[in-house]
Amino acid sequence: MLYTINYASIGSDNLDSMSRVCPKNSPILFYEDGVLACKANTVMAGKMKALLAEHPVYALIEDVKARGIEPLVEGVKTIDYGGFVELVESHDVVPWLRN
Amino acid sequence: MENKVVVLLRKAPYGRVYTAEAFRTIMGIAVFELDICVVFMDDGVFALVKNQIPEKLDMKPLGEGFPMLKDFNVNRFVVHDQSLKNRDLSASDLVMEVETANSDQIAEIFDTYKKVLPF
Repeated sequence: MLYTINYASIGSDNLDSMSRVCPKNSPILFYEDGVLACKANTVMAGKMKALLAEHPVYALIEDVKARGIEPLVEGVKTIDYGGFVELVESHDVVPWLRN
Repeated sequence: MENKVVVLLRKAPYGRVYTAEAFRTIMGIAVFELDICVVFMDDGVFALVKNQIPEKLDMKPLGEGFPMLKDFNVNRFVVHDQSLKNRDLSASDLVMEVETANSDQIAEIFDTYKKVLPF
C-alpha cells in the first residue's frame, strides 16, 4: 500500500499516527502541508531519517516549491504530479489526512 | 478604547486558507487606522519564507504580500524565535525585516495589545 500524508509538522502527531500503522517498506508520499516535514535540519529531521531507513519516501515537488523549503532531508525523492499519478496507479492507497 | 490589535498567524500557508484570510483581514482592518501587530509563530512562520513558487498550485506567492502591508501603515511584524529555530529558519530566510521575540515577549505583546485575532 502507498501511504499519502497531507499534513506533518512540528507539534502535530499526524505523522506519528501514520508511522505506527504503516508497514515497513511501504512507500510514503508527502504532499500539501505534509512536505513541511521533509525540510532538512528541522527538529523533525531525526524522525524523517528513521522513516527513511524503513520506507521509500517521496515529496511532491510542486508543494515543495510553493513553500520554498528546499533543501529536503537527504534521501527524500521528489516527484511531480505525473509521478504522483504513476504511484497511485501502481498502488492501492491509504490516505492519511490532517486530523 | 485603544485601537490596537494583534493578528496571530500560526498555520502553514497554502494547505489551508488561513494565511490568505489573515492577509485579507489585515488589509481590511488597516483601513480603520488601527495599531496592528502581526505575529508569526509555529507553522505560521512559513508564510514569510523567501522563494515561494506556488504557480503550479494556481496560487499567488503569499509571502510577498506582507512587506507591502507597510503601504497600509501596518508596520509591526514579530516572529517567534523558537518557531524559526525549530524549522531551521533564520531572519535571513524571510521576505522582510522583522522583529524576533521569545515566548515571554510574545505574551507581553498580547498583554499590551489586549485583542488577538487568531488565524
